[in-house]
Amino acid sequence: MENLLEIIDIHTFIGQYHILQGVTARVPKGSITTLLGRNGAGKTTTLKSVLGLTAPGKGKVVFKGREIQGMRSYEIAALGIGFVPEHRAIFRDLTVEENLKIAERRKGDFGRKQDFIFDLFPDLERLIRLTGSHLSGGQQQMLAIARALVADNQLLLIDEPSEGLAPVIIEHMIGAIRQLSADSTVLLVEQNFLVASQLAEYYVIIEEGKSVKSGKIADLVKDQGTIHRYLGAA
Amino acid sequence: MNAFFHSLRKNSVLWITILVLVAFFATAAHGMSTKDWVITLLRGLSVGSLTFLVASGFSLIFGLLDVLNLAHGTLFMIGAYLGWTVYVRPDTFIDILTPAALLASGFVLAPLWEVLAGRLQLGERRKRAWPWVGLLLAVVVLFLTLSRYPISTWDLENFAQSPGTYAYMADQGQRLLPPQAEFEGISPALDMAGILFGSLLAAFSLAGLSASRQPADRLRIPWLRIGMYVLLLAVGFGIYAVNDTLSVTLNELNTTWLFSIAVLVATLGGFALGALMESTLIRPLYIRPIYQLMLTLGLSAVGIEMVRALWGRTEFIMPKPALFSGAGEGCPATSLSGWLEHQCSTIFLLGGRVRVYNEILIPLVGIVVLIAVWVLLKRSRLGMIIRAGVQDREMVEALGINVKRVFTFVFSLGIGLATLGGTLAAPSLGLSNGMGENYLLNALIALAIGGLTSYPGSAIGSLLLGMMQQFIIKYGQIGIKLPFLAEPFKPTPPLVPASTVLLMVIILLVLPQGLFGRKE
Repeated sequence: MENLLEIIDIHTFIGQYHILQGVTARVPKGSITTLLGRNGAGKTTTLKSVLGLTAPGKGKVVFKGREIQGMRSYEIAALGIGFVPEHRAIFRDLTVEENLKIAERRKGDFGRKQDFIFDLFPDLERLIRLTGSHLSGGQQQMLAIARALVADNQLLLIDEPSEGLAPVIIEHMIGAIRQLSADSTVLLVEQNFLVASQLAEYYVIIEEGKSVKSGKIADLVKDQGTIHRYLGAA
Repeated sequence: MNAFFHSLRKNSVLWITILVLVAFFATAAHGMSTKDWVITLLRGLSVGSLTFLVASGFSLIFGLLDVLNLAHGTLFMIGAYLGWTVYVRPDTFIDILTPAALLASGFVLAPLWEVLAGRLQLGERRKRAWPWVGLLLAVVVLFLTLSRYPISTWDLENFAQSPGTYAYMADQGQRLLPPQAEFEGISPALDMAGILFGSLLAAFSLAGLSASRQPADRLRIPWLRIGMYVLLLAVGFGIYAVNDTLSVTLNELNTTWLFSIAVLVATLGGFALGALMESTLIRPLYIRPIYQLMLTLGLSAVGIEMVRALWGRTEFIMPKPALFSGAGEGCPATSLSGWLEHQCSTIFLLGGRVRVYNEILIPLVGIVVLIAVWVLLKRSRLGMIIRAGVQDREMVEALGINVKRVFTFVFSLGIGLATLGGTLAAPSLGLSNGMGENYLLNALIALAIGGLTSYPGSAIGSLLLGMMQQFIIKYGQIGIKLPFLAEPFKPTPPLVPASTVLLMVIILLVLPQGLFGRKE
C-alpha cells in the first residue's frame, strides 16, 4: 500500500539532548498507525519532528512523495497535516467557534466542514459561544480534534487523545477517531495500549529514541512477550 | 444572569478592588468644586490616554513576542521629533522623501533577488565571498551618494537657525522657509543613479547571504513587487521634480492639515521602523531573552543619542495646530459651535476652563485608538491569530499560519502606537530627550496595575495612573482638609510619582497579577 507519510531514520536534538536517535516509521494511506512506547521514549518528539516544531537534524520526512524536513512548520502544516497536541492546546481566550475558525486555510473552510464536525461532536455545537477556558477536559479534546478537521488535512497527528479522560468519554473519542479515519490517515500516539489496539491497524514501537519494532497491531496483540518488554503492561 | 453571578463570585477580589477604587476617586472628586474635578478628570484622561498609547503597544509586543521592549519610550520620543520635523520643517521632510524612496526601492524586489542569487553558478568560495564584497561596495556607494544629496535642514550651532527658533517662529505664525539646498560637486542625475544602484546592489547582496542556505525555487516573476518598484521610483522622481513647489505649499498649508499629515507620517514611520527593527535585530534573538533585553536597552541609548545629534539637547516646543490655538475674540468658547467658529485654545465646560488640545483632543484620540485596536483584536482574523498566539505560538504555527509575519505586524503596530503618542504629546509637553523615559515608566506602572499582557488592563491601568497623578496635583493646589490638622494638607510635587507607585503596590498586594492579569 502507498505510504502517505514516511519517516526515515530521523535524529532530533533539543538543545544538547539527542532525543531521537533514529526513528523510522511508515504511515500507509487511509490507515491508523500508532506509535507505542514508554513515557519519554520520544513519541511526542516524533510527531513534532514531522511538523518541524522540533526540526530533525538528520534523516528524511516524506509527505505525499515530497521531502519536508527543514521546511518551516507553517508550510508543512499547510501541505495538509492537522495536529492535535498533547494537553490539547485549546486557545483559552477564544470561543469554540473562533478556535475552529482560526484553523481555516481558505475562506469558508469551517462552513464547509461544519456539518461533518458537529455530526462527530454534537456537544461542540451547543458550546459554540463559550470560551475555551470554560470547557471540560473531554470537551477540550473534542475541540482539539475538531480544529484539526476544519482545513483539508490528509494526515492527522494525534497525541494522547485519551489522557486524563473518563472511560465513557474515551469510548466516545474512540468512536469519533474511527469515524474520521474513514476520510483521513492518522498517526496516533497513545499511552493506553487498550485504546491504541482498538483503533490502530499498524504500530511502531519507540524505545529510548529509536524505533525498534513495527508491524500490524493484530500480530502484536498476540505477542505478549514484546508487549511486556517494550510497553511494560498489557 | 447566572453567568454574571458566577463571574462575580469567582472574581470577587477584583470587583471589590474596583468598587474601592471607584469610591476612592468619587470621594476625591467630591472634595472639590465642580470646575476643579471636571478639569482634573479630563487631565487624568489626557495623561492616561498618552500612557495608554505607550502601554498598549508595549503590552501587545510583550504578550505575543515575549519581548520586553525597553526602547519603547525612546520610540515615543522619536515619534515626537519625527512629527515635529514634518510639522515645523515640511521642506526637510520633502527633501528626505526622494532619497528614502530610492533607497527602499531595491529592497522591494527582494523575492526576485533571492531566486536570482540562488541560481548563480559559482564555486563554493566565491559563492560565500561575493555577497560581502557586494555589500561593502554598496555601503561605499550609498555613503558617497546619500551624504551628497542636498537636504535643507536646521543648524544646531547657529541660534538663528536652530530647531527652537524655527519652532518659535512657527508658533508666532511666521513660518520661515530657508533657501532650498542644492547639489554641490555632483550632478543630480549621477547622485540619484548612485543611490538606485547602491540600493539594488545592497538588496541583491543581502539576498545572496541568505540564499546560500536555501535551494533555488522555480522562477515566478513577482509582478506585484515590480509594480511596487516602479511606483517607488515614480514617487521618488516625482517628488524631486516638484520639490520646491511642494515645500512651499506644505509650508503655507493650514496648520491643522499639516498637523494631521505629521501625525500620519509619524505613525507610519513608526510602523516602518518597527518592521525594520523586528525583522533585522529582534528576530535573531527570540531564543535569547537576555540578549533581547540588552539589545532594546542599548537601542534606547542609541536612539536618544541620535536624537541629540540630529535635533540637539535643548528642549523646544511644537506649536499647536490652528484649530486649537485661537485666543482672540470669542475665546474661551462657551459652546462647541463657538469653539469651531473661533478655533479657540480653551473652552468653558461645566464652569471649568479646559484646554481643547490637551484635555479634549488627546483623550478623544486615546479612546478612538482604544476602540480601533479592540475591534482589530476582537473582530478580525488577524486579531484572532494575535490573541491565540499570545497563549500558544507553537499551536498557531502548527495550524499552518505564518506566525513570524504576525509578529512583525504586532511589533510594528506597537511602535506605531508609541510614535503616534509621541507626536500627539509634543504640542502639549514640548520636545525633550527625556520625554520617552518618563512615559515608559508611566506605562510600566500602568501595566503592573492593569495586568502585563491584558489589553483592557493596559487601558484601565493607564486611566488609573492618569487620574491618580492629576488628583494629587490638584490637591497639591487646593489642599485636603484632614481632621486633626489646622492647615489643609497639600501633597508636594514629589508625591505625584510616589502616589502612582503606592497605588501600584496596594493593587499588587491584593491582586499580584494586576487587575486583569492572568494567573500563570
